[in-house]
Amino acid sequence: MTNDLRLSQFYPTRRRFLKTAAAAVSGLALSSCGWTLAQVRPKPPSNKKTGANKKLYIYTWSSYTDEDLLKSFTKETGIEVIVAVYDSNETMLAKIQIGGGADYSIIYPSDYMVRQMRDKGLLLELDQDRLIGLDNLLPQFQNPVYDPGNSYSVPLSWGTTGLIYNSKTLKQAPEDWDYLWEQQQVLSRRITLLDDVREVMGATLRMLGYSYNSQDPAQLEQAYKKLVSLKPTIASFSTDTWKEQILAGDLLVSMGYSADAVEVAKENPSLQYAIPRSGTSLWTDTMIIPASAPNRDAAYDWINFMLQPAVAAQVCERLNFATPNQVAIKQLPPKVSENLSLFPKESVLEKCERIIPLGKFNQVYDRYWTQLTSS
Amino acid sequence: MSTQISSPPTPPTPKSEPQASPTAGRWLGYLGLLGPAGIWLGLLLVLPTLVLFELSLVPGLEPGGLVNPSGLENYLRVFEPVNLLVMKRSLFFAGGTTVICLLLGFPVAYWIALLAPTKWRNLLLVGFVLPLWTSSLLRTYAWITILRYSGVLNTLLTSPNPWLSNLGLPTIPRLELLNDWPAVLIGMSYGYLPYMVLILYASLEKLDRRLLEAASDLGANPIQTFCQVTVPQTMPGIAAASLLVFITGLGDFVDPELLGGDSTMTISRLIYNQFLKTNQWGFGSALSMVLIMLVSIAIALLLKFGDRSAAS
Repeated sequence: MTNDLRLSQFYPTRRRFLKTAAAAVSGLALSSCGWTLAQVRPKPPSNKKTGANKKLYIYTWSSYTDEDLLKSFTKETGIEVIVAVYDSNETMLAKIQIGGGADYSIIYPSDYMVRQMRDKGLLLELDQDRLIGLDNLLPQFQNPVYDPGNSYSVPLSWGTTGLIYNSKTLKQAPEDWDYLWEQQQVLSRRITLLDDVREVMGATLRMLGYSYNSQDPAQLEQAYKKLVSLKPTIASFSTDTWKEQILAGDLLVSMGYSADAVEVAKENPSLQYAIPRSGTSLWTDTMIIPASAPNRDAAYDWINFMLQPAVAAQVCERLNFATPNQVAIKQLPPKVSENLSLFPKESVLEKCERIIPLGKFNQVYDRYWTQLTSS
Repeated sequence: MSTQISSPPTPPTPKSEPQASPTAGRWLGYLGLLGPAGIWLGLLLVLPTLVLFELSLVPGLEPGGLVNPSGLENYLRVFEPVNLLVMKRSLFFAGGTTVICLLLGFPVAYWIALLAPTKWRNLLLVGFVLPLWTSSLLRTYAWITILRYSGVLNTLLTSPNPWLSNLGLPTIPRLELLNDWPAVLIGMSYGYLPYMVLILYASLEKLDRRLLEAASDLGANPIQTFCQVTVPQTMPGIAAASLLVFITGLGDFVDPELLGGDSTMTISRLIYNQFLKTNQWGFGSALSMVLIMLVSIAIALLLKFGDRSAAS
């Protein structure tokens, strides 16, 4: 304001300009009576000769592809693959909602995000006749809760969330989430938690004996207070960067996904993975085709390629994530298929929960998260 | 800020009727000069800011939602205690960086401008600006490797030190700088120091040395000369450099995000989270408008002090 007033001495028309601008804005607002950001939406999929478009754009988590995988797909189909990566479901969603849906043919959302995207009409209903090998999946992945009948998504990998710790430097190994609170002295500023509201709040809720998907404000308040008391111990909230830090010895414990745990354990065997006793979250990452995707044929080719047991087994071994493909599991070397971090026992899985989207109640979680991360 | 840059220069009011048309012609000519840059600013700065303003008036706006301005709820949320704390922290980082840069930068600029051999000056300046030729992101990552728990600095500090052990002193403990506010201040000060030095140098170079000689002739000691002659003369430069660092620091995202860890939420990080994490676009826009206002105030101060010094 001071700025405007002062400048008006120098530029007499400035005030008029501002008035006009203000009028223009309100005019815009009134005349259109509410425009939606969605008007800047994806173009409908181009109906150009699909054969001419030999490029497939994939939007995925950073650890889910590598050069070998892309090369073998190109070799088999002649389609060149271009990969972009994201580090959280929410970031991906924001990008798709402002029109990025037309940029990618394949995206890898997690289970709860599949449901959220489906409800927003962002997903293409898959033509089941074009999918080859769905029946190779383990029974519990044939008809998942988040997407009955896999009508919009195909499960690619699954796992748990837990604690990765350095068994050499820590005298006592973590067994449950409350370890972080009990060992605050030892762990001071040398732990990281996931940069994910539902995972962090959920783990705390679970430790307190509640559900990952609690919608009880009193329980959330209790979990939030617990986290506030842990905050001085936390170095940062990170989803990816902790890996390199724990390998360098900067961190003692990190909350992370099982796939990442197996990855760091390969580089340093003293980094072990613990699935907390009171239970943790069970996640599935999937492949979907956005409703406005270009080059759908290539997208189906990619899904079918990933569904091939041989490909699934190779990828599972090389990129360290558990495949839901039971034929592929049989092809894995015992070292991988008996790895309890990747394929935990049924008794452990029984205590795990899936994170489900909570609609409007998500905002309550977000508020607590902002409070926690901003204070 | 935006409108001020883009508002076209006012045509001088014609004194008499016959002169009106040539003036108008010249005015149009000027407009032609303004053309490309004006369109650039209009389309990519003014218009987006206006859109942002409109979005900020929609409570609870999510991506894809209906933009129907209806209230100031988002702005009320800005004034919740936790968000005020975030803004206070942003001001602290920007202010702290400004002070550190000024304290470190002034002696350097003074030395280069007044004491260094003339033929070396340009080389010294280039040397000082050289780090700016690499990406700021890279330089921030470099700070991570220096400041981290097992990083360069801690390795140096904790390595066996004959001097200390000879004196019977204990070894220095590891410093926990990364993931906290000291790291952010270090990273930001390092990043903005060259700007500070450049502007101060430009100001100190113009310093009238005869006044310095006169001061010492009249019996002022070096400290008096510095405080009463040098500093007042370079005040516009100090103000310009400080405000520039402050303004840039206020909107810094990379340093707090990468070096700050979990307890250094700043306004720019908060805005980022609203757009990409929690999908609260309305609130995010309101925060952005508040940041623009804060920066505008700083720029108004810059203009004010710049003008005064020019007049005196």
